[in-house]
Amino acid sequence: MSRKPYVREMSKTSWFLSQARYRDYILHELTCIFIAIYALIWIFGLFRLGQGPEAWQGWLDGISSPLGVVFHIFLLFFAAVHTFSWFKVVPQAMRIQRGTDFVPGNIIVGAHYGILAVVTLFVLVLAGAA
Amino acid sequence: MARSSKAVPWLVFAGGGTATAFILPVIVIITACYAFFGGFSAALSYETMHGFIGHWLIKLIVFGIMFLTLWHAAHRLRVVAHDFGIRADTPVAIVVYGLAAIGTLATIIALLNI
Repeated sequence: MSRKPYVREMSKTSWFLSQARYRDYILHELTCIFIAIYALIWIFGLFRLGQGPEAWQGWLDGISSPLGVVFHIFLLFFAAVHTFSWFKVVPQAMRIQRGTDFVPGNIIVGAHYGILAVVTLFVLVLAGAA
Repeated sequence: MARSSKAVPWLVFAGGGTATAFILPVIVIITACYAFFGGFSAALSYETMHGFIGHWLIKLIVFGIMFLTLWHAAHRLRVVAHDFGIRADTPVAIVVYGLAAIGTLATIIALLNI
């Protein structure tokens, strides 16, 4: 081993700004922070739901507060980034063989978007009819 | 083929990523509509939500989604810590997986109280 190994200089906190592919990578990795916060908000909401109508209304007031509105703007963006980036790599993770050939990646990704559309519409109709 | 001991955590991570990719957008759209202009107020009312999540099957589904989501986020958070120069992987892993475990336990307690 060399006594003076070459270490490329790289910022620990802004390395992902140097290349577009790094930026895309960190963008989909950072989705987990917003997903985690949203999950915690929902766990809190489940507790409030068990405590009665007033507690639940307090939770609803919380998510529609100015802070809640700002958080939702970020959340809409990062939820879209998560779904888009996750579906993008599905062909690499899910190899489906038919006979001697593999099913083309765009068909697998298309099927995922199809299921997403069905799930989204189903829940929206269900929630809209309530 | 090489055997990896990481198969189980990775499966939970992938399961969580897949579950959130499908279900998260519509849930966020609903709470965002409520936050922005009071949309879906009937669906999010106490009576509707209490009746809906009160059903044992829905509780089971909510638990499943929450468990997968928390472990997915924890696993990614561990990698994000590394990406931002935090090299103490074992303490980071204990903290993020510990939080996910507490979150999972809290979800069970909350669901049992509805």
